[in-house]
Amino acid sequence: MNTALRLISGEGDIGKTGVFWISFLFVVLLFFIYPSQVSAFRASNSAYYLLNIPLGMGMALLWGYCGVLSFGHVAYFGISAYLYGIIAGNLSENSWGPIIGILGGLGGSAIVAAVFGYFVFYARVQKWIIPILTLVFTLLLETFLGQTAGYQWRVGSVLLGGYNGMTGIPSFQLGDYIFQGYSFYYYCLVVVLACYFFLRMTVNSGFGKVTIAIREDELRTETLGYDVRARQCLIFVLSAVLAGISGVLYVQWGNYVTPSQVGLLQAALPVVWAAVGGRTSLLAVAMSTFCLGWITFTLSSQGNQYAMVIIGGVLIVTMLFFPRGIFLMIAEILGRWVSKISKGNT
Amino acid sequence: MESDAMDSAVALETRSISKKFGGIVAADNIDFKVYPGELRCLIGPNGAGKSTLFSILCGFQQAESGEILIFGQNVTKKLAFERVRLGVGLTFQTNRAFHDLSVRENLAIPHFALKKDNIKVENKRLDYALGAFGLDLNDPTKAGELTHDQLQWLEMSMALSSNPNILLLDEPTAGMAEEETSKTGKVLKFLNSIGLTIVVVEHDMDFVRNVAQSVTVLHQGRIFAEGSVEEITSNEEVKQIYLGKG
Repeated sequence: MNTALRLISGEGDIGKTGVFWISFLFVVLLFFIYPSQVSAFRASNSAYYLLNIPLGMGMALLWGYCGVLSFGHVAYFGISAYLYGIIAGNLSENSWGPIIGILGGLGGSAIVAAVFGYFVFYARVQKWIIPILTLVFTLLLETFLGQTAGYQWRVGSVLLGGYNGMTGIPSFQLGDYIFQGYSFYYYCLVVVLACYFFLRMTVNSGFGKVTIAIREDELRTETLGYDVRARQCLIFVLSAVLAGISGVLYVQWGNYVTPSQVGLLQAALPVVWAAVGGRTSLLAVAMSTFCLGWITFTLSSQGNQYAMVIIGGVLIVTMLFFPRGIFLMIAEILGRWVSKISKGNT
Repeated sequence: MESDAMDSAVALETRSISKKFGGIVAADNIDFKVYPGELRCLIGPNGAGKSTLFSILCGFQQAESGEILIFGQNVTKKLAFERVRLGVGLTFQTNRAFHDLSVRENLAIPHFALKKDNIKVENKRLDYALGAFGLDLNDPTKAGELTHDQLQWLEMSMALSSNPNILLLDEPTAGMAEEETSKTGKVLKFLNSIGLTIVVVEHDMDFVRNVAQSVTVLHQGRIFAEGSVEEITSNEEVKQIYLGKG
């Protein structure tokens, strides 16, 4: 129990004080109360901002903690989404279909990431080439999926659908209960919180410390007895599975997926979330993912054509004035404030 | 095979190691042996091939020909981390402690690489070194905030943290003042006296005179002379190459 507490509230992420944890619990509580105050439609929209968080945190883990930038992590989002669609779609009569689909989707992402990661990390490809390789991979995937229109591109009873995408993908289901609207929101919230606590414990563990050591100095870490290639590959797979979780949640939410989900525009988003939030903090990236998702969605649903331009503007402002991330820097200022006040009281 | 078994009494050995950079021969048929319990200094003028030999020993560079053995095991094709796991601790010429991590974390990181049952092993060498260097195993200070000397000492302690059988140090006293240099020397001598094999690449002849038992002199990629400190310091030819008269 003590070990678990130490791992949750460690130095690997921002916030370890009592004040932090009280505010954290308060915000989580607000998230739980929120649906009772809004329509099912609004709750479902909020679920969309939540479901991207695992992908964002995966980027934080890979880029912020391990120092490897992937510009194509949406590929694993897409692989999971499509595999879930194929498996759950074919098993639509079976109430276990969605669960088997989730396992298949995440497993598929993990296997592809392991093969890709093996070639990249075991070949000791230079760091600056990795974003290019990962981007090329996701663009290839987009091109491939784009030409899958027509009846010949079907797996069992499910059509891949080319640029129009795959439709009619089953929602998440436990027994006879189908998660939609309010219940889907809660399902997303629980998954996101579980991912966050799992990752927070990971970065505070010995494994996490070594990950940070690899980011700081690969050769020095290797000369302390670590197989850096294997570690990087493992983190890559873990972050791909997180991207896959977002992918599965996405198709369970919208019941469709198109190749543009693994396209250039989408590929840039996780990088923006991580940069704007502050890639060395899981929580900062989780918050920026939620907020930027909300801004993009609100702007584009009002018919605003410039949503992506505004997001790009936010990125430029971050790079120029908040190089370590807006959310992280605000959190640090707040932290100093709180400690000043609490010192003043004692 | 038989000769391998016989030579496992050797801690570290190279057999005719050669390496060229373009036209420059950085290592020319080097046969180098260190026995368990030795404290050996590897010296030589700039460009003698000390750094090349060091990085070939550690596995950062591959030799073009020849073999390397650590405690009788052929590690010529092995990667740096695999050599470390055979019981080698090493430090770099430039300071490479993890500045963003605390002193405590820096010292803990080598531990995670060990198998579980080894973690509890008492590490007298580390305890001694930390005491002598004035470092604290549980210090939460970020390593980036330490002074240059403390950082060098932290790195040596990190290397000791995985309880190695042989320590390879590349200019451990670079940039240190006289007092700190002599403190470092004393610590290394004591660690050696309790059984640790140490190889130090050094520049500073005073340090070598104070610390070394035996000395290997490299010159133009070859072993130029080898012997006790007295033999080497009184060797006229060694004096000449050091003063640049050779």
